[in-house]
Amino acid sequence: MKRWSNPAQILVSFIFLLLFLPLFLSQEPWPTAARDILAEEAEKQTGAENIVSAMYLGYRAFDTLGETIVLLIALSGTMSVVSLLKRNSEDVRTPVSLDFSLEEEKRAHHRLRTHLLEVVTGKIGPIILLFGFYVVMHGHLSPGGGFQGGAIIASGIIFFVLGNPHRREESEIQRTTLHLIESSAFLLFLLAALVPLFMTGEVLANPFEAKEIYIIALNTFIGLKVEPGSH
Amino acid sequence: MISPLLLLILFIISLHALIFNPSLMKKVFALNILNSAIVLLFITQGASLGSRAPFTTESPEQMVDPVVQALMLTAIVIGVCVTSFSLALVVHLHSRYGSFDYRHIRKGIANDR
Repeated sequence: MKRWSNPAQILVSFIFLLLFLPLFLSQEPWPTAARDILAEEAEKQTGAENIVSAMYLGYRAFDTLGETIVLLIALSGTMSVVSLLKRNSEDVRTPVSLDFSLEEEKRAHHRLRTHLLEVVTGKIGPIILLFGFYVVMHGHLSPGGGFQGGAIIASGIIFFVLGNPHRREESEIQRTTLHLIESSAFLLFLLAALVPLFMTGEVLANPFEAKEIYIIALNTFIGLKVEPGSH
Repeated sequence: MISPLLLLILFIISLHALIFNPSLMKKVFALNILNSAIVLLFITQGASLGSRAPFTTESPEQMVDPVVQALMLTAIVIGVCVTSFSLALVVHLHSRYGSFDYRHIRKGIANDR
């Protein structure tokens, strides 16, 4: 096998380098108009102190709806492709380190599982979950929001799955629950998008006097939507 | 000044791998790195305005541009979607044809016909 690219390939890359050089090294000052307007108006118009949240749940909420649809489609595509894969992981003989390994009867099901992993994930998992929910609920006031908090909750759930002391069949049940949560969160998001249609006549317009409520609701639904996505 | 240059190098490396590397798995990773380079470029450009987070409690003159941050949030989410889906496809191809090399896979498909 060759170690180095041939000169033609390097030439092509060099041409790309020259093509993109002005784009990356442009000294054009970044326009400040949008920032100044948003800093003035964002909280009054959408109720979110975090301007990024104000944008993706206020000004641009329709686009966020499309984004969650993309997430749903990509996830269902991934799941269907993965479920087509044959499960041949049973044949793989992985070495077991006996120092931290589990009791005899569990070892067959969790070849790479150790006490170390179970203890650490069991202790840290709940804290990560709590932090994820905090990020989701505080998305309008602090850095974070539905997508980020959802990703954090998802990593907490991955911790639980890694350290799950039960057998595989039980984690299958958990998986269907997660899919249920995801689909119903998407349905709730759609409903939340449609509710303002009857109250104000516009889709995704903020119907409440206290605008935070709507932002928090949308953030929560997105968080619930993103959270099972990584499973 | 140095950060866009580094991002350009990252961009070109990933573009090179995307075009010329025969391994489909490495192509997917290259796509992911390309996405990261673009996201970082936008974030650093938007952060040239100031150094404070985009909250209405901060003073507007020192704030970074929130528009790019909201746009890049979308880009990151879509990037994760595309990466996970293409990784699933690549793993499926590997389980069927036993290789990540696209030439090998193409040969396998031709044999299937």
